[in-house]
Order: sequence, then C-alpha cells, then structure tokens
Amino acid sequence: MVELSAMASVFTDPYLIALIFATTILGVIIGVLPGLGATTGAAILLPFTLTMEPVQAIAVLSTIYVSATFAGSITAILINTPGTSASAATTFDGYPLAQKGEAGRALGVAVVSSTIGGVFSIIVLCIAAPLLARVAYEFRPPEYFALTVFGLSMLASISAGGAVKNLIGGVFGVWLSTIGAERVTNVERFMFGNYELYEGLSFVPVFIGLFAISELLVQSKTVNKIIETVALKAVKLPTKEDYKKIWKTILRSCGIGTFIGILPAEGATVASMIGYSEAKRWSKNPEEFGKGSVEGIAGAEAANNAATGGAMVPTMVLGIPGSGTTAIILVGLMVHGLRPGAYLFTEQVDTVYQIFGSMLLANFMFMAMGLYAAKLFARVSLIPRPTLWPIVFALSVIGAYAIQQSTLDIWIALIFGVIGFFARRHGFAVAPIAVGLILGEMVETNLQNSLKMFDGQWWMILTQPLAAFFLVLAFLGLCGPYIYGMITKQNK
Amino acid sequence: MQKKLYITPIFLALFSIAIILISLQLDISPEMIVGDSMQARSFPIFLMAINLILISVLFLQFFKNYPEKIELEIFTTWFSMFLFLLFYFLTITTDMFIGIAVCMFLMGYTWGEKRLWVNLCNAVITPGLIFLLFDSVLKIRFPRGLLTNIYYG
Repeated sequence: MVELSAMASVFTDPYLIALIFATTILGVIIGVLPGLGATTGAAILLPFTLTMEPVQAIAVLSTIYVSATFAGSITAILINTPGTSASAATTFDGYPLAQKGEAGRALGVAVVSSTIGGVFSIIVLCIAAPLLARVAYEFRPPEYFALTVFGLSMLASISAGGAVKNLIGGVFGVWLSTIGAERVTNVERFMFGNYELYEGLSFVPVFIGLFAISELLVQSKTVNKIIETVALKAVKLPTKEDYKKIWKTILRSCGIGTFIGILPAEGATVASMIGYSEAKRWSKNPEEFGKGSVEGIAGAEAANNAATGGAMVPTMVLGIPGSGTTAIILVGLMVHGLRPGAYLFTEQVDTVYQIFGSMLLANFMFMAMGLYAAKLFARVSLIPRPTLWPIVFALSVIGAYAIQQSTLDIWIALIFGVIGFFARRHGFAVAPIAVGLILGEMVETNLQNSLKMFDGQWWMILTQPLAAFFLVLAFLGLCGPYIYGMITKQNK
Repeated sequence: MQKKLYITPIFLALFSIAIILISLQLDISPEMIVGDSMQARSFPIFLMAINLILISVLFLQFFKNYPEKIELEIFTTWFSMFLFLLFYFLTITTDMFIGIAVCMFLMGYTWGEKRLWVNLCNAVITPGLIFLLFDSVLKIRFPRGLLTNIYYG
C-alpha cells in the first residue's frame, strides 16, 4: 500500500510532472539525433542533476532512458537511420513501410508497441524487484562475489563486439577500478604520484569520455553523410486488423525484452534483435519481414522498451547494471547518496517507488509525444552535425568538470574518449569497460571479504550453494556455446 | 595492411605485461593488516593474467577468421583529437571557456559548417549559456582564467 501511494504521488506532484514532461521532450530529441542515444544523453545530463533531490535526479535519468529508447524508432522509420542502437531492428521493416507511403502507420505501431512494452516491464519491475530484494538480503560476500562474476561473464553476449573482445573490455574496466588507494592496505596503485586519484577514478568523467566523446570522434567520420527523409503526414494508431496481427507479437516481445533486460549487462539492443527474430519465427507471414511488416516493427519496439524496466531490476536490487544506460543511472544513485541494493527496498521504499512511478509516467508522455509530435521531432534529426557535435563537446567537458570541480576529470574524459574511439574502431564495445569499472570494486571487496571468511581458502566459495550456482551459470555462459558446438560437431 | 591488425592484440598483451610488472613493484603490506585476504598487488596481477589468456584466444581467432580491414581515420577525426590537445593548452594558459569556444569554432568549421557567423554564434552562445546555468543554478565555480577572473572579480 505504501508502495502504491508512493507511485501515485508522482502523478500529483506538479513539479515532478513538469520535470518529467520537459525531460521526455529532451529524451525524444536525444533519441532522434543519430549517435546521441540514451547512454550518451544520460552521461551528459548526469552533472545537471547534481542539485536536484534524489527522486527528481533519477527520474530525469530514467526518463531519458525510456524516452530516448523509444525515440530512436522515429528516425529508424523516417530516415532509415536508427537514433539509438536499440532501434536498429526497427529499420528492417519500419523504413520499407514508410517508403510505401505508410510512415504514419509504422510510427503508430512503434508508439503503441513501445508503450505496452515499457508499461509491462515496469509492472514486472514493481513485482520482481522487492521479491529479488528479499532473496538478496541473504547474500554474503561469497554470493555477491559470484554474482558479480556472473554479471561480468554476461558481457560476453553483449551484441556489439565479439565475446572475447567484450570480456577483455570488461577485465580492463575492472582493472581501472583498482586505480587509487587499495581500501584495506591503503597501498597506492597506478596513481603515478597523482594524489587526485587517491579515491580512484571518478565514474562520471570516464563514462562521458567512453560514451559521449568517443561517439563525437565516431561521428567525425560521417560528416558528409547525406540523409534522405520520407514524408510523414500524420501518425495513425494501429487499426483493428493491425492489432489482430500484432498482439501476440507484442506480448511475446514484452516477455523477451523484460527477461533480457533483467540479465546483468544485457540491454535493449539485444532484446530488440531477439524480439524481431522471434516475431519472424512465429509469424504466419515471415516472407513479409524486411518488406514492411508491422509485426517486425512491433516485435522490435515492444522488446526494446520492455528491456528498460527489466534492466532496472538488477541495477536497483543488486547494484549490477542491466545495460550501459543503467550503469549511468547506478552512478546517479550513488552520487545522490542512495545505496543500490536490497536495503534500498526497506530504507528508502518511497524513493524507489517514486522512481518506478516516474518511469511509468514517462512512458505515457512519450506515447503522447510520439502520436502528436513525431513529425516535429523528426525534423530535429536534420540538425547539421557540424552544429550539433561541438555543442556535445562543450556539454561533455563542462559536465566532466562539474561533478568534482576538478580539471583532472576533464582530461580523464578526453583521454577515455580517445581510448573509447580506438577501442570501437577495433571492434571493442565500450559498455563492457563501463560495466567492469562499476563492478570492479564489488568483485575485489567481496573476494577479499570471502577470503577472510574462509581463512584464505578461496575454494570454500564453491561450497556455498548460491555462490556455486552463480559461478556455474557464469561458466556455462562463457563456455556453454563452445562445449555445445564441440558436442554437435562430434555427433555429426 | 593485414599485418597491422595484429597490432591490437600485441598492444594489449604488452599493456597487460606492463601492468603486471608495475604491480610487482607495489608495496607489500604486513601480514597483520592483510590477514587471510590478499595483497594489493594480487588482484591486478590476477586480472592481467586473465587478460593475457583472453588475448591468446583473440590471437587464435585471428588465425582462424581474419577480421576485416580497418579503414584509416580521416582528417576530421585526427583534427578533432588535435583539438582536444589545443583545448588542454588553452585551458591551462588562458581560460577554459576560451578553450571551449576556440575548439567549438574550429570543430564546426572543419566538420563542414563554412558559414563563419554560424560557427561564431555556436562557439560563443553555447559555452556562455552553459556557464550561466552552472554558475547561477548549480552554483559551480569554474577554474580561474582570463574570463572567469573578470566575472568572479
């Protein structure tokens, strides 16, 4: 009951409603601008939330997350360029349908599917998060250590980059977390005499560098790209015939998206790809896919927005980010003094449900904007890159400075921008580095505490049932596909 | 050209070895403090050992399935990186906002916006607005420089 009233309070707070409305507009703009996805947008906006109350700050970040994830579909359908990577699957059928003169219908299906996906996942979030929190109360250092190892192993299956490259990125991220004074012994590690690094690398400048500045350098390669647009008269809600065709697909993708979102380190991009391929697999008309199938649009869009709520489950309950954007939301929680984990659900239950309520409200707001202002937002995507990206540069360097008011953070952001750019050029995704950096401290601290618990006998971790379960899952996640491949090869 | 692609795993392997060597130089804490836990150097060494194993797998993958050729960076990319250095130089010698404005102007110009007034407006108005927002709303003080000295007095 307390939970419901906390959620409902969001809908009666005029300031929060106005803030979410303004942030939804901003989120949709960020989503339609190619290159500026939810992760980059959240990284740039995090410093702007410094003076806000925790609920308002996290509401801003989570609204950016859900609205930008949806908005990527607008440009995917109208200009064949996904605004975010999560909307890449929407281009397969969205753009062909738009080319047939049915852009309004395509957008209508995308808006409705996204909203259903988003709302469904928030309902699951409200039910699953407290249940998982109850289980997480029982976790001790060995369980947390095993869980973080499982989270890191899941990096192998992030869509961008190969499994090995993602794991290398993850390990690099964990190593970054060792920079600074070691917590037990106070031994200075990799500081090279720079005492500003004593507390370790600050997450925000590293994230701004990895996501925003590296994207700026990636975009510098596409300055001369010509954008072709498809005319849009008005967005049309799906017809009865459309609903008959897509309702099963939407429900299936809601389940897929939420489940994939809950898995640590997986995100909306993986969810939309699987949602799309499953929609095709189960469709009565698979031959229509790729030529403008509404089922294809619904499958991808319901799944990517369902992943947003799902990804918040491990983030809030376990402190393990469910995606790149939730890694930033996690940092936002920490910056505002909220300790992610099971205790959040007893100590600050109001705050948690107000955040959930904000996400719900954001879903309804982007639905209204998608239906009535998609045409206007599509025009935003035509802002020339030579005007847009210098602004991103200014926001990034000032944002990096603002968190700790340290010029060192600006240089850290720029250095990680260059590192992120070259990593991406060589096929390494940057999200594993970010997730590794966040999980690094958890891994080391829980390993140290586990060793203390078991008098230095590390193998005793395996005797703890839950810890062993997570480690087996991690092993299967890493080696399962190879073992399965070898067995099927032998059988042939 | 293909040989160049091996540079990535070789670079990563050298980086990992360098980190191991640096870790070995870290101080050893007394047994009384560490107890049954591990030394500060152990965890980074463990991580880099894992990385070396992963890099070997990456090498093997390269032999089996050679990755596609990576195109060389274009001028605007290199110039944008150069602008980061210029920004650093201008920030430490003049003012952070002069650095931002100059870099924004040059970035806009080299990226294809040839109308000088558009670049100029962008380079002056954007940092100005951001400064006012951070200074008046978020109460953040920026580092001292030519312009901020005038503003702060």
